Amino acid sequence: MTYVIIGASAAGAQAAEDLRKLDPDGDIRILTEEAGPPYSRCLISRYADGRLQERDLYFKTDHFAADHRIHYSSGVRVTSIRPGSNTVICDNGETVVYDKLLLATGSRPWLPAIPGCDLEGVCTFHSLKDAQAITAQTSPTQTVAIIGAGFAGLEAAYALARKRLKVTVVERCGQILPNQLDAQGATIIHRDLERMGVQIILNQSVAAINGSDRATGVMLAEKPQVQADFVIVATGTEPNKGLAAQAGLETARGIRVSNRLQTSAPHIFAAGDAIEIDDVSTGKRMPSATWFNAVLQGKYAAYNMAGRTRPYTGAVGIQNAVQFHQIPAISLGQVLVDSDSRENVEVVSLSEGDAIYKKLVLKDGRIVGMVFVGDIQKSGFYGALIRDQVDVSRFRHKLLDKDFSYAAVHRGPQFGQRSPYQ
Amino acid sequence: MKKLTVTAEDCTGCRRCEQACIAAHSRAGNAALATLEKPEPKSRILIEYDRGPVPLVCRHCVEPLCVSACMAGCMQKDPETGIVNNVGHEQQCVGCWMCIMACPYGVISPSYDAGGEDQSSFAVALKCDLCPNLDTPACVAACPMNVLAVSDVPEPVFNAKGNVP
Ligand SMILES: Cc1cc2nc3c(=O)[nH]c(=O)nc-3n(C[C@H](O)[C@H](O)[C@H](O)COP(=O)(O)OP(=O)(O)OC[C@H]3O[C@@H](n4cnc5c(N)ncnc54)[C@H](O)[C@@H]3O)c2cc1C
Repeated sequence: MTYVIIGASAAGAQAAEDLRKLDPDGDIRILTEEAGPPYSRCLISRYADGRLQERDLYFKTDHFAADHRIHYSSGVRVTSIRPGSNTVICDNGETVVYDKLLLATGSRPWLPAIPGCDLEGVCTFHSLKDAQAITAQTSPTQTVAIIGAGFAGLEAAYALARKRLKVTVVERCGQILPNQLDAQGATIIHRDLERMGVQIILNQSVAAINGSDRATGVMLAEKPQVQADFVIVATGTEPNKGLAAQAGLETARGIRVSNRLQTSAPHIFAAGDAIEIDDVSTGKRMPSATWFNAVLQGKYAAYNMAGRTRPYTGAVGIQNAVQFHQIPAISLGQVLVDSDSRENVEVVSLSEGDAIYKKLVLKDGRIVGMVFVGDIQKSGFYGALIRDQVDVSRFRHKLLDKDFSYAAVHRGPQFGQRSPYQ
Repeated sequence: MKKLTVTAEDCTGCRRCEQACIAAHSRAGNAALATLEKPEPKSRILIEYDRGPVPLVCRHCVEPLCVSACMAGCMQKDPETGIVNNVGHEQQCVGCWMCIMACPYGVISPSYDAGGEDQSSFAVALKCDLCPNLDTPACVAACPMNVLAVSDVPEPVFNAKGNVP
């Protein structure tokens, strides 16, 4: 059996590793555009601030391919897929034949339609190459403007503030992390970032990046412009679904897959940021977009590619852990509640002082979302209750009590693992 | 593979397991002196309550979610011993807390102050390592009620549906 995997990040590398376990004799080929061994793009901010070296980002080690007998071709871009002949065409002219193909093509930065994105001194924050460009082109005391207060934007902001640059973040919404946190949780993290010296401007859209050949700052819709020696555009990502769409596979916002992670073409599977999932917390389709999801999907795709039926269930789109400066936060599932929503949702929350905040969103006796800021110790237990859609009605009175823990449910076989407590 | 087993019914909540765990993971080797250390060691076994006390501890899962969630690649399951841990590998823990978010049992803790005053290094996730340098894990040796035990169990395999039978 010949397995071909496009992309060597969270999903692709995991799939290759599991395929080797499941099929000791199969041929496994990875084709990936980025140079070098698999690295974790989640860690690029810690590289940009100098705390990690390039080697430290290799989440599978640099001998990963040799250890697992994987034919690893980096610096190779796949330009098209021909499902009719089970082949993929590469930019180096090579044609590669597969029996099973995995699209682990991930996502790429989404750029807003504003003038100036192509100026010198403007960069996204998505890859090791981006982090290297930023490190090479900035120095302490310089000013940086960051467009977007999502995950990547704030990671960049924190990294550069640590390097003593003057950082201004401009966000269109009324809070930072608008897709990941509610307003109260966001305020705590906002203050924590301000204590690091990061300036944050909310409720402002960037109209343009200024400059004639090099960026000099950003122009805001209603405020004086922000001067900057360097501009980082961090306005979100979009799934890399182009290859799949051109090959005639079903796509929407991302590549569509079945619960076996199979695309609309029988021998082609897909996993990671490139796909859409059915989110159990919202009941809606959304892009996958997290490291944890990508790894699990890579694993499950490998089983299905190797002919073992292994349905992938319990997917949740939002699953984030952050700690920028001093305060950790976790958000998972449906964290935002529309005030005019007609859904029967209920919110339980608790705050202690100005650094601890916990919120659960309940629907039909089940927890569908959580925000934990400041104290994250048992967040995984709540996460499991969300992913497994456990009915928590009988615990309704004590859901956020200090002594509510896995102990409360330890008698049953829970969360798909055998309980050692019986 | 070594596994910790728990007979929760017999637990009296004396917390000697917690003290022993702290001592075993301190530089001083003593729970009282450990409180002076920075970062202060935390117990990796936790006494929680249901109708009575229940010790919660890492079960070194067959397919650990903490390992899948780890974006640094430092959380690994040792193929020989079955022990799941985030130290002693080529990759280092950077305190991203993805494992804490992923663990259904809530038995991984953050060490907030490990980053030091200037935060030049990283806070790290703390979890049960089954005391690799001891014959018997410290919590098991300390338990007066034999609630905790280590046993050698064969690693379960997944059936065709991918579940542990
Ligand atoms: C700064 C930053 C911080 C983040 N922090 C977190 C975090 O804390 N927690 C979290 O859960 N997630 C985080 N994420 C998101 C996380 O990195 C992604 O969810 C994860 O990387 C997705 O993995 P993937 O395997 O789907 O694809 P990707 O990581 O997107 O990689 C896809 C790979 O495929 C290659 N590729 C694409 N098309 C082709 C082609 N045609 N031919 C050859 N190769 C191709 C690309 O070059 C790339 O190397 C962060 C992301 C960024 C940018």
